[in-house]
Amino acid sequence: MELELGLALPNNHLMKGFDLNDGSTTNSYRKRGFEEAFEKVIPFSSPLPRKTTLPLFVHKNGGDGDDENDGPQLKNPDELNSISGSRALVGWPPVKHPRRRSAGGGAGERWSEDCGSNSYAGGGGRRAKCVKVKMEGVAIGRKVDLCLHDSYEELFHTLNQMFPTMQHGVAYAHPHHRHFTVTYEDGEGDWLLVGDVPWEAFIQSVKRLKILS
Amino acid sequence: MTYFPEEVVEHIFDFLGSHRDRNAVSTVCKAWYGVERLSRRSVFVGNCYAVRPERVVARFPGVRSLSVKGKPHFADFNLVPDDWGGFALPWIEAFARGGLGLEELRLKRMVVSDESLELLARSFPSFKVLVLISCEGFSTDGLAAIATHCRVLRELDLQENEVEDCGPRWLSCFPDSCTSLVSLNFACLKGEVNAAALERLVARCPNIRTLRLNRAVSVDSLSKILARAPHLVDLGTGSFTIDHHAEAYHRLINNFTKCKSLKSLSGFWDASPRCLPAVYPICGNLTGLNLSYAPAIQGADLIKLIRLCLKLQRLWVLDCIGDKGLAVVASTCKELQELRVFPSDVCGVGTAAVTEEGLVAISSGCPKLNSLLYFCHQMTNAALVTVAKNCPHFTRFRLCILDPGKPDPVTNQPLDEGFGAIVQSCKDLRRLSLSGLLTDQVFLYIGMYAECLEMLSIAFAGDSDKGMVYVLNGCKNLRKLEIRDSPFGDAALLEDVGKYETMRSLWMSSCYVTLKGCKTLAAKMPRLNVEVINERDESDEMEENPSDLRRVEKMYVYRTVAGPRNDAPDFVWML
Repeated sequence: MELELGLALPNNHLMKGFDLNDGSTTNSYRKRGFEEAFEKVIPFSSPLPRKTTLPLFVHKNGGDGDDENDGPQLKNPDELNSISGSRALVGWPPVKHPRRRSAGGGAGERWSEDCGSNSYAGGGGRRAKCVKVKMEGVAIGRKVDLCLHDSYEELFHTLNQMFPTMQHGVAYAHPHHRHFTVTYEDGEGDWLLVGDVPWEAFIQSVKRLKILS
Repeated sequence: MTYFPEEVVEHIFDFLGSHRDRNAVSTVCKAWYGVERLSRRSVFVGNCYAVRPERVVARFPGVRSLSVKGKPHFADFNLVPDDWGGFALPWIEAFARGGLGLEELRLKRMVVSDESLELLARSFPSFKVLVLISCEGFSTDGLAAIATHCRVLRELDLQENEVEDCGPRWLSCFPDSCTSLVSLNFACLKGEVNAAALERLVARCPNIRTLRLNRAVSVDSLSKILARAPHLVDLGTGSFTIDHHAEAYHRLINNFTKCKSLKSLSGFWDASPRCLPAVYPICGNLTGLNLSYAPAIQGADLIKLIRLCLKLQRLWVLDCIGDKGLAVVASTCKELQELRVFPSDVCGVGTAAVTEEGLVAISSGCPKLNSLLYFCHQMTNAALVTVAKNCPHFTRFRLCILDPGKPDPVTNQPLDEGFGAIVQSCKDLRRLSLSGLLTDQVFLYIGMYAECLEMLSIAFAGDSDKGMVYVLNGCKNLRKLEIRDSPFGDAALLEDVGKYETMRSLWMSSCYVTLKGCKTLAAKMPRLNVEVINERDESDEMEENPSDLRRVEKMYVYRTVAGPRNDAPDFVWML
């Protein structure tokens, strides 16, 4: 399956000279062949209004086009910019987990919640729960760390950023506002609607996510 | 020296403070090896899988103090799966079985079970010091065992551990006869604490100098504790909310005033600015201040507090301090040696966060600065060059620009020159963390100039294998190299395989290294453990027979005399 990738950059003085498609860039290190460009993380700086480009991807072994993401994680430039987007990038910024939880005024209530802290045999609340997310019609799957989210609201926010085409039908917590249906596979192999059970129960049982249109 | 009796040689060895020196003399000759091993009192194991516990016990029967580190550093950022390993139990068991008189145990990033704490408590009657940093796997029941059985406990120091809460009874397990505590830090505990038991404990330990409370301890309790222990040197407050009109507040101020020895303050959970004046009386004496858990203290209140701390040497704050606040630090804290500025979620871009300006101000105001951890939204080459010139004494320099791969916003250039200036100027640099947009050039500089560098952290940097090779070839003292999301592959990995035996460990994740490269390395170097960490998904059919050309998600390589480990979970492949 051919994917059309747009590298539309927003208009911003900071981005001058950064347009890969613009031959006038003064930074020659930025010029790359097509393939090379997509092998490397190409980050874009500063917080900017979200642009609806598809994520850059790394294609493995010539690729069937349908495989899940085996290699280095996709780095959607949007994710790298926004604060909540950066949460989908595992382990970044490099701050210890307990500090992540307790910094920030609103985290006052959250600080004692840890995902998976019920069983300490496994190692308490520092678990990162990464599950794969596939969207119907999109060749490349993504991964999301559920432990960096506290609610369905936050999860949907991240999913919206990972799959920008979802923006047209933003998934809200309320099922009837959704144009896209987010489902998950639980421990028993059943596919259920995301949002039906309390968040904590969801975290325990979810194995992977699938977005249907 | 060979004509001296062993006692004399041993006495001379007593003057050797560092582990390295003692390690060195033990290799001189058999006689010295023998003397050294019997007289060694303290052993440091930087990687728990580098040597078997039994071997340590056999070689050093006189050891009283043991330090062990487990998981790789990137485990702090959730890059290492739980259940990877790093268990404390085998170490405690080996020492118990060996009948050694263990007195001090320091563990970092290890999995410590309640069972192992119980064994520890029961096996060593002279046990005095327990320090657990970034560990997990235990609960307050394990702490109860320590409190109950360690009759001469001096230090219980829990830093940033994940501890399961089984109730407050553990603190009451310290018997009435326990009067030996010098240091007690339970700040990382999430559960309730028995205030009365705590106050009584503090009251009967006249030598207590370090006390770090957890969030559950109220200000009222703090007040009473301060009244009982005015000789405290290091205090971590509990929750720091109080009605600043109430009488309790005035009592608090009074009690703080009596603490003439207080040098270090931390905690401040839920602190609101109006409570801050309570600590004003002692600010002038402070050498250490940690406000990184107090996001509500910002702006003018924070500045007012800082202005009183003329003797500060160590400051940890959130980035809400802003460049302005850092300028105040620069003009006030002339003795500053260590600064850590942490990111806070509340401060979105636009509100006062920190940029290169703050760092430049600090560098020009605080020439003694030698240790930095700085999270910021942007950095320029010019700023780094200035910082390098102003502060040539950095031993630890960790810069984290929050947008991965962000260039110098003024020039749009990578930050190669800036970091290059740092490594060139700071001849004593031992630890460096890079961020921002970086090409192979920065690694060329690091290889050329960073002669003392021992630990290097790389993320989203470099263009090609050359970058990694520059570092491996150049940094003679490199011990730990950790790399994520950078385009280094097999060619770099295999360029100089012997190098890894001179290092403690190498971590590479989301790079270009393939399974074939890892297998080749493992085959060439039998005294390295090459671990490939694959978090498998049952639904992934591809995982069944992974092609060698496939990139590995995570690889951890370390030198070892213990051979492949036998406690690896099935998602860790020992090659």
